[in-house]
Amino acid sequence: MKTFLLFVLFMLIALIVIVLAVILGDSGAWYFAWLVGTGMIVLITAAGGAMLDTQEEQAALLKADAQAGARHG
Amino acid sequence: MHDITVVDLSRWQFALTALYHFLFVPLTLGLSFMLAAMETVYVTTGKQIYKDIVQFWGKLFLINFALGVATGLTMEFEFGTNWSFYSSFVGDIFGAPLAIEGLMAFFLEATFIGMMAFGWERMRRGQHLAVTYMVAFGSNLSALWILIANSFMQTPQGAHFNPVTMRMELGSLSQLIFSHDAQAKFVHTSIAGYVTGAIFVAGISAWYMLRNRHMELAKRSFRMAVLFGVLSTAGVITLGDALGFVGGQAQPTKLAAMEGLWKSEAAPMPFNLVAFPSQQDQVNHGQLQVPYALSLLVTHSLDGTVPGVDQLEQQAAARIRNGIPAVEALQTLSSKPGDADALAQFHAHEKDLGYGFLVQRYAQDVSKATDAQIGTAARDTIPQVAPIFWSFRAMVAMGLAMLAYFVLAVIFSLRNRIERQRWFLKLAVWMIPVPFLACETGWLVAELGRQPWTVYELLPTWMSASTHSVGYMIFSLVGFVGLYTVFIIAEMYLMVRAIRQGPQPHDDDAGWDGDPVLGNSASGGRLAGQAEG
Repeated sequence: MKTFLLFVLFMLIALIVIVLAVILGDSGAWYFAWLVGTGMIVLITAAGGAMLDTQEEQAALLKADAQAGARHG
Repeated sequence: MHDITVVDLSRWQFALTALYHFLFVPLTLGLSFMLAAMETVYVTTGKQIYKDIVQFWGKLFLINFALGVATGLTMEFEFGTNWSFYSSFVGDIFGAPLAIEGLMAFFLEATFIGMMAFGWERMRRGQHLAVTYMVAFGSNLSALWILIANSFMQTPQGAHFNPVTMRMELGSLSQLIFSHDAQAKFVHTSIAGYVTGAIFVAGISAWYMLRNRHMELAKRSFRMAVLFGVLSTAGVITLGDALGFVGGQAQPTKLAAMEGLWKSEAAPMPFNLVAFPSQQDQVNHGQLQVPYALSLLVTHSLDGTVPGVDQLEQQAAARIRNGIPAVEALQTLSSKPGDADALAQFHAHEKDLGYGFLVQRYAQDVSKATDAQIGTAARDTIPQVAPIFWSFRAMVAMGLAMLAYFVLAVIFSLRNRIERQRWFLKLAVWMIPVPFLACETGWLVAELGRQPWTVYELLPTWMSASTHSVGYMIFSLVGFVGLYTVFIIAEMYLMVRAIRQGPQPHDDDAGWDGDPVLGNSASGGRLAGQAEG
């Protein structure tokens, strides 16, 4: 259920973004938008990869803590 | 007089080669920037896993790139061999962006791609990253110049016809480059490539996860691919709307075909969600409509309207009548180039010269064109509605489906539990063909919608082809189909083999397929120490 609600929320955000972009840019400076947009997409993608590393590190730490707790307990 | 069978065969040949070539292009456009994003993480974190990721996807990129080049080269020659009148008529304009594409973008791309493939041990990390970015920009700039040339065919700007040299001449390079159609089309196409690359990477990563192979590579690749994809899909949809808005104003016949709009209607116009258009009767069967939606979509207002086929045909008939004196004047000027009366007559009617050419297909002596012949030529200005109507809807449906897919994929991936969603991983694998199909259907809408023109409202397709024999065209068409079938088999074989093999293992990678976080990175070492302590 939570996944579904998140899905609906994210889809709504995506649609609002698209509608805003449509309203603002009938015949916009699209070359410039491409340059800026591509840079943004690449950076957010790279950040997503780095974020996964952090999540994995966090999970490994929690796992190590749990194992240490089990040994001492 | 051109043999229409030869024209049709020339169209089939170009369409097949273009559609085939366009299977490779989007993946190159998208994968190149994805590689840049992945390598950015490698350079900033120093983790070996990201180098392995870049090298693995880089191998698939190279296979795709090589076959893309091989199939693209033939198309440039086809302009000269099969479309010689077109090349002579608009070569001054069309040739310029193609030459720039070869000299600037392709050389840039081709030079740096070698360094990208073989320079890992010869350059520092930052230098190699710069090379990867150059390859990505080169690939996309290549597409830019091709699409500028294509945009001239769709909405010709920055050029004029010279009745003395009997061909089009470039007047303004900036108008050619910065036309609204060129801008919207380039960004729409380029970002559609990003979506293709993202679904390709996500799909293959999902395939690995389903088999519990190369998990660390797959999870990271999947995460980056879905973020890359969700942002790109939103961009594609936005630019698709912009392209429809620009194209709707510049090419009303294409818009009428896309929307199955046979009769002009008052605002607010309904959108045909489903319909079965009949070209013969000029009606839609079994149509399902959404009220108000068409006005909103194509004019961005509730009181906007666009002309239907009935109105467009009337306008075309009037323009054909106005274009006939321009064609007559050209015939005089071809034998007497200095004839002032003919020149004045030409300039008075030159804006409808292309429409005058249209009726020449049915009346060699245009001065004797009958009302029936003009009516037939006017009817020709409406492209084949059904394939455009359905291609457009298929493209839009696939675009929206990909947006929903990426949103869900981002949710699963950000929670770091994608490997548990096996049904979604299976879906991700099945999604791989979808962006390719969406790109192909988009291209069909763009190119079928331009008919009956090679250069919209300037040069009819029937005049543009070379005067080959039917036998020659059939022979070369069969040759292309055979050769390209070999290419697709080679591509599929190499791709599948590389994917099955997976990334190359190496001795110095402590974390490979084990725990790359605890591998040879600084933070990994720290974590390993903490875990032991």
